[in-house]
Amino acid sequence: MSSRMSMKSLANIALFGILMIVWGCSENQLKTSKGTIGITVMSLSNPYFKELAEAAQEEALKFGFEVIIASGDFDPSKQRNQISDFITKDVDAIILTPVDSKSSGVSVRKCNEMGIPVFTADLATSDSLANVVAHIATDNYMGGRQAGDAMIEAVRSRNKKIMILDFPPAESCVKRIAGFRDRIGEYNLANPLDQFNIVTQLPCDGQRDVAFKATSDVIQAHPDLVGIFAINDPGALGAVGALEKVNRLDDITIIGFDGQNEGKVAIRDGKIYADPIQFPKRIGRQTVQTIMKYLNGNEVEKTQLIETALYRQEDGLNDPDIKDFH
Amino acid sequence: MSSWKVLLSDYGIIFILMGLIIFFSVLTIEKQNIIGAAAGIFLAKEVTQSGKQGKILLVTSESLDDQDLIEAFKANLGSQYQIIVVDKGPPATRNQIERDIESGDVPKMIVTSTKVSRWLLFQDFSNHFPELSVVSMINPQSSKGSNFLKRENLLNVADQIAVIAIMAIGMTMVIITGGIDLSVGSLVAFSAVLITKLIQGYFGAEAATEFEMVLAGLIAVVMCGLIGLLSGLLSTYFRIPPFIVTLSMMLIASGLAYTISEGQSIYHVPDNFVWLGRGRIGGIPVSVIIMIILYVIANILMTKMVFGRYVYAIGGNKVAARLSGIPINKIVTIVFTISGLLAGVGGIILASQLNSGSPTYGLAYELSVIAAVVIGGTSLMGGEGKIWGTLIGAFIIGVIQNGMNLIGIESYTQKVILGILILIALIVEKARKRS
Repeated sequence: MSSRMSMKSLANIALFGILMIVWGCSENQLKTSKGTIGITVMSLSNPYFKELAEAAQEEALKFGFEVIIASGDFDPSKQRNQISDFITKDVDAIILTPVDSKSSGVSVRKCNEMGIPVFTADLATSDSLANVVAHIATDNYMGGRQAGDAMIEAVRSRNKKIMILDFPPAESCVKRIAGFRDRIGEYNLANPLDQFNIVTQLPCDGQRDVAFKATSDVIQAHPDLVGIFAINDPGALGAVGALEKVNRLDDITIIGFDGQNEGKVAIRDGKIYADPIQFPKRIGRQTVQTIMKYLNGNEVEKTQLIETALYRQEDGLNDPDIKDFH
Repeated sequence: MSSWKVLLSDYGIIFILMGLIIFFSVLTIEKQNIIGAAAGIFLAKEVTQSGKQGKILLVTSESLDDQDLIEAFKANLGSQYQIIVVDKGPPATRNQIERDIESGDVPKMIVTSTKVSRWLLFQDFSNHFPELSVVSMINPQSSKGSNFLKRENLLNVADQIAVIAIMAIGMTMVIITGGIDLSVGSLVAFSAVLITKLIQGYFGAEAATEFEMVLAGLIAVVMCGLIGLLSGLLSTYFRIPPFIVTLSMMLIASGLAYTISEGQSIYHVPDNFVWLGRGRIGGIPVSVIIMIILYVIANILMTKMVFGRYVYAIGGNKVAARLSGIPINKIVTIVFTISGLLAGVGGIILASQLNSGSPTYGLAYELSVIAAVVIGGTSLMGGEGKIWGTLIGAFIIGVIQNGMNLIGIESYTQKVILGILILIALIVEKARKRS
């Protein structure tokens, strides 16, 4: 009996302990802040969004604002709950990087009803009834065209069979591919005897393992493939892994997108040919600056596009910011 | 045993829920704004008492609460005041004030809702408009209150947990028979994709009528029920363990969802499609009402009907159940069908809440559902468990998640804490049962 009792009380003590930890973790904020901004991004496991969110937080602190960061973890319903919790907390503005372009509109409409201004960063909401104050993002279409430039520049052989690794649910990736295909299409029109042939377009979900499998399969079906365009760095790195496994990395050009640290390392080491790089920190900072401008009563531009830049091997060799982990 | 002990042993888990509620209520005490009509009346009184006359600039947000505020403010103020309302955000407000300064017709008073008074425009008002420093600013006072206990937030928790809780009914029955259903998360995605695809592809997309939407919903739910039926048949008549059968069904349903939707979200649905997930009847979300009705029906089924007795008997002792002539295969198949049907219902509610269908929905939901069932006191060995316990289990998960979001705990820490709390709930439950 006594051992049972002690087990029970042990559990109760543990419960109490956990609750104390929870209490400790909760911000015991001094009420000196000028306001609160809620940020929810697609997923903090992707360094790109982590950089974006942290840059936004840093910038907001400069203005005396508090920030709550949440990770949607690729789950539209989870992100919806996070936004309704922001509404309960009565934040002054919300920065949203929607997990799903379409379904996020419902949450934005709710914010509209509650009078909380929403700013989308990097990815937009595609709901005509949802009112977003401003959208700050990479110019993905132009970035896609730059990826096309890089592909044309790198692939000089007569055979021009290439593939695309895509992620259809994300509007931004759809735009990248549109830009890429348009640029390749223009080249094909101008060079009818030396055309690129996009043999397949497969989903990689922007994730390394999925891209790895897709690439492994495609090089079985198309052994003479010469180029791969992946819509982000994890996708490109998955392709790198698949090609390394079968020793084909040297004769297949990979173009990525993003410019995450790991991607940059791979470009420097010659594994990825080039990336149109984005500037997540700049997006994060500019979004916060836009919020401040807005809350101060100034007109803000509805769509603010930030250009990408092509990043090749020589940029990697001269880049002091690259971090090596090995 | 004294009666309180019976109560404790039957519903010990409810005390954990109450403990969590008290805990988060205390931790989320913050300044609460007076909002809506009450704020409007308060502001009107303040204006009257100030004794000032003339032009008033009333600045609010576009929120529904603030629209009530505007109405109440106007209704409670005499006609000697000239009221100008601006409710189009900070830039519009600034424009209005600048125009007033230019024309020389500046307001005597600026009245705002609390939310609006926090705009930087008003926080630093004297910096922005040094020439207007004599204007008096009035905004409603705020009182202390718990964010967690706000009526809206409590409904929010119920709404957030509704889908999981509905799925957990079927899972409770399956687990009581000694089985498990891993396919429910994928069935949510399948059902959400199916209903939206049917509406978009066959019922005229945005032009679909209510009848057609209901029909699409029924088809989606029935299809999920058929998959559940198949799981039941395979695990009984073919004696394949439910774990393996439903694991296969999970892959099949997820694959079908991706195939039907071509990996994209499907969103061409009428505007009133969101009614099921966002609508309210008498102030209570429709999803919560559906959840409660389903729980009442399930409770009757499990405690008052022969069917329920059979379900418990099968999980308690299969041999004895067979010997006493219970049609085990039939009952287990029905239970899996119910689980499939309810996952289908969860899917259409989720699709409606998110106003679209996507194959990514329902990711890892089966785990949350199983957690809710087990926290609620159902034994994974089968034979015992309570429908109401499952509802409480679902609420415990919902309250923990919502509470941690409200006090601003980082997502990753949340996962760790949630995992530990589930373990503790189970240890307490085990200790209770032994004593």
